[in-house]
Amino acid sequence: MTPEQATYRYFKVFVPAQCVYAAGSIGITWVGENSNLSSTVLYTLAFVPIVAIFVTFWAHWRFATEIDEFLQLIQLKGTLFGIACVMVVASGWGTLEMLADAPRLSVFWLLPIFWIAQSVATAFISKREGVF
Amino acid sequence: MIKNHLKPLRGERGWSQSTLGDHLGVSRQTINAIEAGRYDPSLPLAFKISRLFNLPIESIFEDGESHLLPISLNTYPCGKAPIR
Repeated sequence: MTPEQATYRYFKVFVPAQCVYAAGSIGITWVGENSNLSSTVLYTLAFVPIVAIFVTFWAHWRFATEIDEFLQLIQLKGTLFGIACVMVVASGWGTLEMLADAPRLSVFWLLPIFWIAQSVATAFISKREGVF
Repeated sequence: MIKNHLKPLRGERGWSQSTLGDHLGVSRQTINAIEAGRYDPSLPLAFKISRLFNLPIESIFEDGESHLLPISLNTYPCGKAPIR
């Protein structure tokens, strides 16, 4: 499989999954604030964006296994950078919360931080390695 | 980084980077990175390249060592193999 085919297959799953994630997150927040649904129903509805997150990671895993070793290395480096950013933000802000009474940061933001950091790092490394 | 002679070998056959990539089952970007010395291929890929050009690996890739010692001298650094 060519990288272009693998990328197409990836985005065919990634884009709808991210739309479901965004709509699910916003929708459930709105429903939680504007309706009297029981917490059981809200917990059940919350699985919609959670499943979308899982599908996104599955698509990324499949993409990484379908590309060749050099492109895999770039993905790996980008993913490591994304994980490092998440760990730094989570542990760093956690320390500030614990020791300096910093305002609470919702763990919801860790996933967007991961994807933004991973995407920027992958694009930067790809550019540096002459991929595009 | 390991030096390689992939670009002249590809040039001899008149292949583009994409064509060579197709023969090896990798992307044009990977061939470009190997030729530019930015990426060392894995051992399985090096063997594939070797088979494709019908050349030994060490005549395509160079690690900077000018020669290899016979295995008995490598195994016994004093230069003497045990007497059998």
